[in-house]
Amino acid sequence: MSGVRVGNRIIGGQSPVTIGWENIPKVEGGPVKVFVFTWFQPVVLFALIAFWYYAPNSIAKASTAIAIGIAFRAAMLLLEWFAPRYESWRLTWKELMTDLFYVGLGYTILNLIEGFIGSDAIIANALKSFDWDKFAWFTGLPLLLQAFLIVLIFDFGQYWMHRGMHNWYPLWLTHSVHHYITQLNINKGAVGNPVELFLIGLGLGGLFDFLPRAALIAGAFGLAIGTYQHINVRFNSPRWWRYLFNTTEHHSLHHSQDYEASRSNYSNTFIFIDRIFGTCVDGEAELLGMEGGRRMTVREQMTYPFTEAWKTMKDRFGRTSSGGRDLVAAE
Amino acid sequence: MTTAILRGEDTRTSKNRMNLRSIDWIWNVRGSISVPPGQSRDAAFEKLAPLFGQTGTRYAMAGDALTFSKKDQPAQDKMSVFDSGTLWIEAGATGLVLRYRLVSRALLFCFMLPLLFLGFAGLTLAVNYVQTPAAGAAKKPEKPEKKKPDVAMNPIDKALGAPVPDKKKKPKSEEDKKPTPTAAYVFAGIFALLYVIGRILEARLVNGLFRRTLMAA
Repeated sequence: MSGVRVGNRIIGGQSPVTIGWENIPKVEGGPVKVFVFTWFQPVVLFALIAFWYYAPNSIAKASTAIAIGIAFRAAMLLLEWFAPRYESWRLTWKELMTDLFYVGLGYTILNLIEGFIGSDAIIANALKSFDWDKFAWFTGLPLLLQAFLIVLIFDFGQYWMHRGMHNWYPLWLTHSVHHYITQLNINKGAVGNPVELFLIGLGLGGLFDFLPRAALIAGAFGLAIGTYQHINVRFNSPRWWRYLFNTTEHHSLHHSQDYEASRSNYSNTFIFIDRIFGTCVDGEAELLGMEGGRRMTVREQMTYPFTEAWKTMKDRFGRTSSGGRDLVAAE
Repeated sequence: MTTAILRGEDTRTSKNRMNLRSIDWIWNVRGSISVPPGQSRDAAFEKLAPLFGQTGTRYAMAGDALTFSKKDQPAQDKMSVFDSGTLWIEAGATGLVLRYRLVSRALLFCFMLPLLFLGFAGLTLAVNYVQTPAAGAAKKPEKPEKKKPDVAMNPIDKALGAPVPDKKKKPKSEEDKKPTPTAAYVFAGIFALLYVIGRILEARLVNGLFRRTLMAA
């Protein structure tokens, strides 16, 4: 396998990938299907933004956002079932059950823990202790700008956390579990070791005071852009969309079995952050995972960072050590 | 006796066997299919063999039975929900019959998940209980709430007709801030339903898979 040169790197030398938008297949079918799968993403995004912008105060609240989020994900599951991008990524009962287990952890035990030691809780305590005020001027900005900045600040932090996870062995141990998935489905973003799920949720949002409506619009950005990262559906995303936003194509490349391909496309929502820092690669992959595509059991997903850390420590510091392992093997 | 063990027939005392049999349907799928007329035992196993040629799967013929085990099977494996099992062919009233017993840790895990999430709900309630100050306990003197100045709506939003933010916003009470066990109850319900669906669906799917494989020309 020769791979394709992208800048200084050879992408696809270990596992097949498709590089360049011109080489990515288009949605096939009648004109109605092509029309729907071309305009679905922008229409949903702008419709959600307009909804939250103009909804009366009695409707614009978190419970409405949760209901829309659940309905949207259910609709996307149906879309995956009837129009799968790859047959090899088709959702099975076992995959759905495992995915929902992790979604459930996020809504319950992790949420409970984050209430005590999450970034928002820590920042709230720090602001209280030092008698600082939040950046109150933020609320005076136009709503859409507030929403955009909320997403951008979070995504910028997440970009560096994610990039750090691919470059620093202790962080990689927590994140590697997520890279053992062998297919992308709508809920796969939730799959990972709980330590990673906690780390990736850290953000600086707690420093800012913003209007509740701006947070709801920011949530719409996440729902109508971020959700597609792990979806098993092919869209003809418009050129401007794929230039600005992360897509399932970008993210499938990030999950490729090819090592170099997996070191690209780190952002969650705005792929232009990757473009700015030179880590964006436009393309896609079908063959995903690690170690030739072995799927971890839930038990191993829970213990892997700790058992691997223990093995590495023993190799490095153990009396019987004969040389030590490469500490950045995970890169 | 060896074959009996392979088929999952417990050779311990009959009481123990009864006890285990009464609950092992939770993670065991059993079934049978008539082998097409004219197909020999060896020909049937030969047809079934490719199903066990997947990544992470090992299988062996022992006596008149095929046993398999899977480790880290990928999602693309049509039998990924099963971790081990035994298939054997015996003579039935109208011809040969393929019988099988398949073991699934995923089914057992899903069966246990409602209990785990009910545990999370209990933990949430316990945390709430611990955090609730005892009745009559002296209330900490609170700092006087700073009154935030009303933020004028941005002129752009005013011009575009966005609703004016509610100024009479009630401050969040201690009750509102408490974590709620609702999500844990919902997920316990989801997994109970998912188990029932999976137990029926996966049994049907694997039966159909074996049937189609045996029937294939």
